[in-house]
Amino acid sequence: MRAIAETRAVRGTRRSFLVGLGRAFDLVRRDPFATAGILIYAVFLFVAIFADQLATHDPHQILYRANRRVASNLPPFGDHILGTTNLGRDIYSQLIYGARSALLVGISAAFAVVLIGTLVGLVAGFFRGWVDMVIMRVADVALGIPFLPFVIVLSSFLEPSMWNVVIGMALVVWPSTSRVIRSQVLSLRERTFVEAARVTGCSQARILFVHIAPNVLPLSFVYGSIAIGWAILTEASVSFLGFGPGNTVSWGSMLQNAYVSQALSRGWYHWFVPPGICIILVVVAGFFVSRGFEEVLFPKLRD
Amino acid sequence: MQGSSRLVGRLVLTLFVLWTVATILFLIFRLAPGSPLAAFVTPTFTAEQQESLTRQFGLDRSLFQQYLLYMSNLLQGNLGESFFYKRPVAEVVMTAFGNTIALTLGSLLVAYAFGVVMGAVFAWKRGTWIEGAGIPVVLVTRAAPEFWLGMVVLAIFAFSLGWFPGGGANSAGLTFSSEWARIFSLDFLRHLILPAFALALYLQGLPLLLMRTNMLEVMQEDFVTMARMKGLSNWAIVMRHAARNALLPVATAFALGIGQSVGGNVVVETVFSWPGLGRMLVEAVASSDYPLAQGAFLLITTVLVTMNFVADMLYSLLDPRIAHAGHR
Amino acid sequence: MTVLSVQDLQVHYRTSRGVAQAVRGATFDVPEGQVVGVVGESGCGKTTLARAIMGVMPKTAHTAGGKLVFQGTDLLSLSPRELASKRWREIAFIPQSAMNSLDPVYRVGTQIAEVLVDRGGMDRKSAMRRAAELFDMVGLDVVRLRDFPHQYSGGMRQRAAIALALALEPKLVIADEPVTALDVIIQRQVLDTFKDLQKRLGLSVILITHDISVVAYASDRVVVMYAGEVIESGTTREVLQRPFHPYTMGLYKAFPELHGGGTLVPIEGTPPDLIDPPPACSFAERCPFVEAACREMKPALAPVASGSLAACRRSPEADRLRVLAGEASTWLRS
Ligand SMILES: Nc1ncnc2c1ncn2[C@@H]1O[C@H](COP(=O)(O)OP(=O)(O)OP(=O)(O)O)[C@@H](O)[C@H]1O
Ligand SMILES: [Mg+2]
Repeated sequence: MRAIAETRAVRGTRRSFLVGLGRAFDLVRRDPFATAGILIYAVFLFVAIFADQLATHDPHQILYRANRRVASNLPPFGDHILGTTNLGRDIYSQLIYGARSALLVGISAAFAVVLIGTLVGLVAGFFRGWVDMVIMRVADVALGIPFLPFVIVLSSFLEPSMWNVVIGMALVVWPSTSRVIRSQVLSLRERTFVEAARVTGCSQARILFVHIAPNVLPLSFVYGSIAIGWAILTEASVSFLGFGPGNTVSWGSMLQNAYVSQALSRGWYHWFVPPGICIILVVVAGFFVSRGFEEVLFPKLRD
Repeated sequence: MQGSSRLVGRLVLTLFVLWTVATILFLIFRLAPGSPLAAFVTPTFTAEQQESLTRQFGLDRSLFQQYLLYMSNLLQGNLGESFFYKRPVAEVVMTAFGNTIALTLGSLLVAYAFGVVMGAVFAWKRGTWIEGAGIPVVLVTRAAPEFWLGMVVLAIFAFSLGWFPGGGANSAGLTFSSEWARIFSLDFLRHLILPAFALALYLQGLPLLLMRTNMLEVMQEDFVTMARMKGLSNWAIVMRHAARNALLPVATAFALGIGQSVGGNVVVETVFSWPGLGRMLVEAVASSDYPLAQGAFLLITTVLVTMNFVADMLYSLLDPRIAHAGHR
Repeated sequence: MTVLSVQDLQVHYRTSRGVAQAVRGATFDVPEGQVVGVVGESGCGKTTLARAIMGVMPKTAHTAGGKLVFQGTDLLSLSPRELASKRWREIAFIPQSAMNSLDPVYRVGTQIAEVLVDRGGMDRKSAMRRAAELFDMVGLDVVRLRDFPHQYSGGMRQRAAIALALALEPKLVIADEPVTALDVIIQRQVLDTFKDLQKRLGLSVILITHDISVVAYASDRVVVMYAGEVIESGTTREVLQRPFHPYTMGLYKAFPELHGGGTLVPIEGTPPDLIDPPPACSFAERCPFVEAACREMKPALAPVASGSLAACRRSPEADRLRVLAGEASTWLRS
């Protein structure tokens, strides 16, 4: 009799979780900022996927004019939408392909960070005791590593590749997610539905992944949507400092090129302003989406 | 007392973190496939450099002995000798450190002063156009890469308008009687303004948003309602009660910010050719000056870890609920 | 002499569902030097009433009508400035939870000194002396002035809140559930201290509580509120011994410790929706003595035989109803 009531309770919470998630997405869509964020993401995703079709030139190719001279430093809004670089490359096409590497790095780094952060947080919060102790000390160490310098040193020792940023973030950035997830788990494991699951004889793993994990997932989304932006910013910084892969076009490498080619002192704003704006848009989109999620998760600041 | 045992606990943890990070750094520099300290015989190095490396790092001995040597040197503040500068790393690094601290503190102070005030204003003006227009602007500055903000600022104010120098920390050819005289010279200040402004532009968003959220939360608290019931002036309510409480986490963020900026300033220092620690690290890594890279990294780490500790202590100092824990 | 006269006070909240009429025509007087207990179940508008008198309400609330005549002037006609100058010097407040009402980052002594300096015009030194005096009055050790609120126990915090309220020697003190958060023994001690000071200083007090035994213990007069309205008022003795409104009878029945035994009998049902209240007696839906006419017109607050005021169509039959109300079965719905 009791067990039946409890299984019903468990089923009830799981259903209400699904309803809750559905409602969360509904609310996120209703929040104008979150909608804007999702839209920006959608546009950049579209650009990244169809870069080959959208670009007008090969971003690496040095272009020549009819008179066989290098088409360098052409102004924007002419034959070239955003003009050309001092070496005669098409800025607009670079920007388009930049979206591809930005999103690739951003999404994979966010995924790695959130995956590690969530798993570690789940384990630490659920098992507590010495497992938690060890994990939290490792987190302390990770937080003691200066992030950007670490990625720079890493990039210089590993093969230059945009994955260095992903590795660096995965190694150093997970603790902030873990800590939040952990405290969430600590409070969840005391709730009645988890208690009920325990009494009805669910295995540890089942309780953790079926009953607790789904409830912290929205929180992971919040951190994920912020991490995307952070990864893109980091990738741009690393490329700007010259530790990025030489063979890929990214917004960071465009900015580095512009910088070393003295675009600043020559006032070639059309070269270095657009990549910055693209980065801002993607990062802001992350803020907006996470804000939307937060409004749903922590509604106390509404009204 | 409870407070002091907590202090000791955090201190031990801080030392543990420092030691662990130093060890990780040792392993990276010795074992990473691209590190010349791992693959000792690198033809690109001169015989003189190889000899220096062997001597400094004990490369002809076992890994464990190298580690002991590394640690004992570290404890004595001996960071080896820079290939490029041909001077002790500790000395080279300390010069750059002064510049970095000046930039970090300068930008953080401006950013936090501005952010705290504007955050309080935004909270006060919740729901008005001021907030509606302000928040997106703040979000954009927070989303922008700091080095890009630096580039734009540099292009406009140094190159297009010519108001400020285009890079460096001091004009060429100037000499100063001491390091202090250099840092407190007008020339230095003129060079500092642009990079500090660019950084502050980027940094102000965090304290602003933090302050705003905290204020909104604190304004809901019963003690603020009570303050109104007591007939206290708006100024006393907002400043003495609401802001004082809302400031606690901001103060912590400030201390954390110092630690993070010292390493995070890398890109801005590069944009403005600011001879700071971050730029030195980048140059050392790029030119394979490993003793210098290692030393710069260690110093950045030390500052970061120390400031994490300070932030923690600061919070417990400022919040009586922690500072005066327990009943008497 | 009447210190405060609440006349037909209306307080509304703007909510997402519409306007909630939290206080709907409250009328009662606070005579000088007396304790007026305001009693009613949770959500009946007691806190709303208290905050309306203080003039400190949430942004979504406003007084939609009525008068608050305090010593001859209508508080609602004053400018915010004039009102602020009266606060604490004339009317002080004791909150339910002093924990949240004291600022956690300042010492308690500093917070008492703050009102003495800012609102009482004292210098810091005499303020601290006066704070020590106040602590002495409310039975707190003066060394605790240097402690922070979180270092106090619940009872001590309420005592500190009383000290704070008395700091500027106000005429009127509004105490919103001042002892509700405490256990019974401490409740009694704090109430005793408060009552003692009230007598000694000749304070007028509005004592808000949902606990009719607190009213019975500490107040001279009672105002019974239901769904934002005053449904009965009079001297404590009369109202509790000879209630004329069925709700008061039920409320009394719901506190068995007060009349020495019997079972606790809750009043079933819920009060009406304040967003769209019926134009009838608000209690009709829960009243065991309801008649068809009760659902048609709202009864006015009118004098009854005991000298109290009650808002019930059947108050002439009160003596008979009171006997019926004494039976538990009357309150149980089939
Ligand atoms: N800020 C608000 N916005 C909207 N409605 C409110 C607000 N505060 C209170 N109310 C409503 O006004 C009515 C009266 O609330 P009030 O807090 O005055 O009751 P109370 O008698 O003090 O209750 P309690 O004994 O629980 O403290 C309730 O129905 C409540 O839901
Ligand atoms: Mg109340």
